[in-house]
Amino acid sequence: MKRFAPLAVPLLLAGCDGPASTLAPAGPVAAEIAWLWWAMLAGAAAISLLVGVMIAMSFGPPRETSTRRWTHGWGLGFSLVVLTTLLGAGLWVGERILPRDDGAVEVRAHAFMWGWHFTQPGEGDNMVETDGTLYVPVGQPIDVIVTAEDVIHSFWVPQLAGKMDAIPGRENVMRFQVDSPGTYRGLCAEFCGLGHAGMLFDLVAYEPGDLPEALLPNEPAEEGAND
Amino acid sequence: MTDIRATAADAETPEAVLDIPANPPRRALGLHREIDRVWRNAPGWWGHVTAVNHTSLGLRFMATALVFFAIGGILAMLIRAQLATHEGAFLDTELYNQIFTMHGSIMMFLFAIPMLEGMGIYMLPKMLGTRDMAFPRLTALGYWCFLFGGLIMLTALFFGVAPRDGWFMYTPLSSAEYSPGINADVWLLGVTFVEISAIAAAVEITVTILRQRAPGMKLTEMPLFAWYMLGTVAMMLVGFPPLILASVLLEIERAFGWPFFDVARGGDPLLWQHLFWLFGHPEVYIIFLPAAGAISTIIPVMCRTTIMGYGAIVAAVVALVFLSFGLWVHHMFTVGIPHMALAFFSAASVLVAVPTAVQVFAWIGTMWKGRPQLKLPMLYILGFFLTFVMGGLTGVMLAIVPFNWQAHDTAFVTAHLHYVLIGGFVFPILAAAAYWMPQITGRVRVRGLGEAAFWTILVGFHGTFFIMHLTGLLGMRRRIDVYPENPEWVWLNLTSSIFGFVMAIGFGLFLLDLVLQARLGQRSPRNPWRAPGLDWSLRLPAPSYNFASLPGPRHLAGGDQVALSLSRGQGLLPGAPRGTRELLVTGIGDARPDHVAILPGNSHLPLRLSASIGLFVLFMLAGLYWLTLPALALVAVLIWVWGRGMAWGADLPPIEVAPGMTLPVHVHRRKTLAYTGAICLLVANGTFFATLLFGVAFLHVVAPGWPAPPMGNEDLGSASLVAGAVVALGLGTVIARLAERARLAGHAVSGPAVAGLMVNFLALGLIAYLAATAMDDPTRHARDALRGVLAGYIALHALVVSGFAAFAVDQWRRGELTPRRAGCLPVWRLWQDYSAAVALITAAVVILQGAGG
Amino acid sequence: MTWADWSTRFLALSLAGPMIWAITFSAVYGLHGIGCALAWPEVDLAFLSLHRLAMLAAWGVGLLACGLLLAWLPAGARMRVWLPRAGGWVGLGATFFTLFPVIVTTSC
Repeated sequence: MKRFAPLAVPLLLAGCDGPASTLAPAGPVAAEIAWLWWAMLAGAAAISLLVGVMIAMSFGPPRETSTRRWTHGWGLGFSLVVLTTLLGAGLWVGERILPRDDGAVEVRAHAFMWGWHFTQPGEGDNMVETDGTLYVPVGQPIDVIVTAEDVIHSFWVPQLAGKMDAIPGRENVMRFQVDSPGTYRGLCAEFCGLGHAGMLFDLVAYEPGDLPEALLPNEPAEEGAND
Repeated sequence: MTDIRATAADAETPEAVLDIPANPPRRALGLHREIDRVWRNAPGWWGHVTAVNHTSLGLRFMATALVFFAIGGILAMLIRAQLATHEGAFLDTELYNQIFTMHGSIMMFLFAIPMLEGMGIYMLPKMLGTRDMAFPRLTALGYWCFLFGGLIMLTALFFGVAPRDGWFMYTPLSSAEYSPGINADVWLLGVTFVEISAIAAAVEITVTILRQRAPGMKLTEMPLFAWYMLGTVAMMLVGFPPLILASVLLEIERAFGWPFFDVARGGDPLLWQHLFWLFGHPEVYIIFLPAAGAISTIIPVMCRTTIMGYGAIVAAVVALVFLSFGLWVHHMFTVGIPHMALAFFSAASVLVAVPTAVQVFAWIGTMWKGRPQLKLPMLYILGFFLTFVMGGLTGVMLAIVPFNWQAHDTAFVTAHLHYVLIGGFVFPILAAAAYWMPQITGRVRVRGLGEAAFWTILVGFHGTFFIMHLTGLLGMRRRIDVYPENPEWVWLNLTSSIFGFVMAIGFGLFLLDLVLQARLGQRSPRNPWRAPGLDWSLRLPAPSYNFASLPGPRHLAGGDQVALSLSRGQGLLPGAPRGTRELLVTGIGDARPDHVAILPGNSHLPLRLSASIGLFVLFMLAGLYWLTLPALALVAVLIWVWGRGMAWGADLPPIEVAPGMTLPVHVHRRKTLAYTGAICLLVANGTFFATLLFGVAFLHVVAPGWPAPPMGNEDLGSASLVAGAVVALGLGTVIARLAERARLAGHAVSGPAVAGLMVNFLALGLIAYLAATAMDDPTRHARDALRGVLAGYIALHALVVSGFAAFAVDQWRRGELTPRRAGCLPVWRLWQDYSAAVALITAAVVILQGAGG
Repeated sequence: MTWADWSTRFLALSLAGPMIWAITFSAVYGLHGIGCALAWPEVDLAFLSLHRLAMLAAWGVGLLACGLLLAWLPAGARMRVWLPRAGGWVGLGATFFTLFPVIVTTSC
């Protein structure tokens, strides 16, 4: 859907930028969802207008009008057509962005009160542990396995994908992909007590050939909290 | 035996016309004095304590809810003040967390629910043509529980120990480990205390709608508001038990360490979320339906026409009642549930928009059919349309799984839910207030102020929340107090805050308007809107007894002539010649007169009972667990006293309600109002039990910490104890029937009643012995904890049916059980059957679980 | 008996359709959860996994029950006859609409 974006939206997007904006997608998953949002916004605006006009037109002298047209025609027919279309689109997008067994890069995000501990591949098969920053390569699907130490948290990088809750006792998996190198804002999205607002992290995306220093051997970051 | 489908008679034959002759006319003033003396509250301060009248209590519910609305609104202003800038140093995080938790909890549990209960309690008897709710003392009990529960929560806020884990109280954040102190207990116990009033209101509203409609007001033709309220209370009976169960389980986990949600010991925090949202989503529709009922009532009057699509609207209500129980998982789209399960709930969440659309378009069609007049209630209804349609549309967006993954827990959801709740509840309530205030105060409002309030609220609301959608999409999470790294949100939040204060000023104007109307308004004519229906056939302001004589089939349309003839005693059961509060009980379908119910008068028992429940709550909060036992004993004693109040010492002669129509008094009927109420309560109770079984199944199948450790004392001995308890309760069902047979034959009931008492005590003893000797430590694993809860549930029921049997013994001793008087026996039998059934199911579940490992 | 006239039948029939939906919805959701826990998707039958087959069967039974209900209920304009049929349609529509993801989405 990215190919349509450059045509119509830049103007709208001007006010929609920001390090945590879901409307400034930086990967295919977030882009699919952003596309869904713009389509739904257009539909919702049209329907609001339609209802507004109907209400405005009701002012005036009484008139003959068919009950079935309102309850069955508009109430059932119109709403079912719109909703079925929308649900279909939603399920289609949902299916496309699910994790599946295709050898995606696997990283782990472990949430605690109030911070993040990450495990990601470094050089070769070597897994590297870091605190507060997650490193992933660009251009490949990433499956992040989200877990929690204490209470419920939620892994969210708005520019890349939706949320996945970190729940004690469970391993949840979510997929995302980053288009271009850079640093992206990550947040804890589930209320988790006093430190919730400050429970942020950075997601650094790098070109596969250009490993960041933190992932190279002999980094102090290797001795993160055990889990 | 006829066909159980709608028979040919239903489809074709003309309806049997119910005709009841008129009573002779009397002087209206004399009649008013006679009946008011019986129905009015006691004078002075004491009168407020002992009032049980639905008009007084309905108003009091609504007024108290308004006070809580104001407090919740002030908390909202504090939140907006904090968020106005990105480094807000106005509140510290601890206090901020308490404030947003209390804002949500107050608005839901102490404003919206009591407000709709109050509206139903105040309006329904007037619309249905009766004099009070079915159980006036229960109305009062509900009010006191609401007030005391609310005061406990407010007191906690005042002392800085209010709940702070969000109104949804997700565990483990709300567990004893991560939320030490009494904050979370205040929520769990306070809200459960308040929910007593929700269950009480649901039971009595159901009974009132089904069995107290004016003779001839068929179920299929009753005012739409009554259909909406019937749907609402049905949902409350099924929707609140999951919340009550969840709160009880979490409180037990916090207080006694029994694991239900602790993942290390076989619990699962997701069980809390399932139970909470199993209540929480229907809750939204519980709030919306009464408001929609008000809209369906007001629009036709404002448009000088009749409602379009009565049948379609009723079908839409039925669809909403059911579908809204299939959406709860859309609050949990991000917890890692597989896509197919999400898709079911996504589809259901989308589908629920259809019955809503049917109603909205039926309302618009009604406006086309008539001539809309832009009076103040209509303005609020336009505000409702604008706001609610947009809220509904964003709701559909949130039902779409991928979008939900992005928008969940952001300000987008905050915006959406305020569009739905303020659009779908507050605007209709404001319309209803503008519409019904003349009935409450007997005065017309001061011109202009209401319109000013409307525009201020409308502009303030949309200014606050419209851009909040964008704030959310730009990534602002819910429940954060500062956002130092996101200066791009400042202008959005500042705008929201400024308009938030505009909205607050609007609500201030609205309150001022109410006060001025009550104090300074001109006297209102009797039916200022020229509306049809019985609720506008009253003297204004509404008198204590509503109708000096009760409307019959020829009065249902309302209007001036009807009002006159009813006030002159030409309707049914005129006045109060016997000095008792009397009303007609009718059949569920055709509303044929069945008997006369004599209601209890003013009483302070509801206050005493709710105070003793409050004592229990306070002891729990203080951690003085042993002291809760005497408090519970006090509760039991007062319930017994309450029951005594329902039993009449002497036989009562039949009453002539109209010339040639004589009806028996309720004590001589088997299917009384109380009987119907007991069935409603059992529906709620059954839902509680079913939810508990869901919890057992859920943990067994889904929770990570299973299979459970081997059972310690599972042997033939404990199995026979379980079997013995089941058999004893089962014997009780036979004995309860024998007691009824003995009563009808004129034999002594004492024998079977004493036998019933003994078998129920035996069951209680067996369970107690089982718990003391054979059950595993409930703190060890969720399975053992759940077994403990199941055993406690059965033991409680054994205790309740023992109470019924003992009450039967007492009634026999006093001569209150005769061939013509059933006393407590029918209700005893209901509860005995229920207890035996749940005991049997529990035994089966425990055995199955043992076999399955 | 006057207190429970045609109304009991009327209310029961009106709620029958939505009730079938509620039972079918719970059954399919329950089967989904149990199937995922017991690895039913791995059990291959002829064309489908055991998991999908179990859910499809439950869905089919629900749809059939609603269909039979509608075939059995008489038609008529009077509310007493009309509402039970409307309830039947609500049940059928809701059962179809809310459970069709059984065919199209990934199961666990």
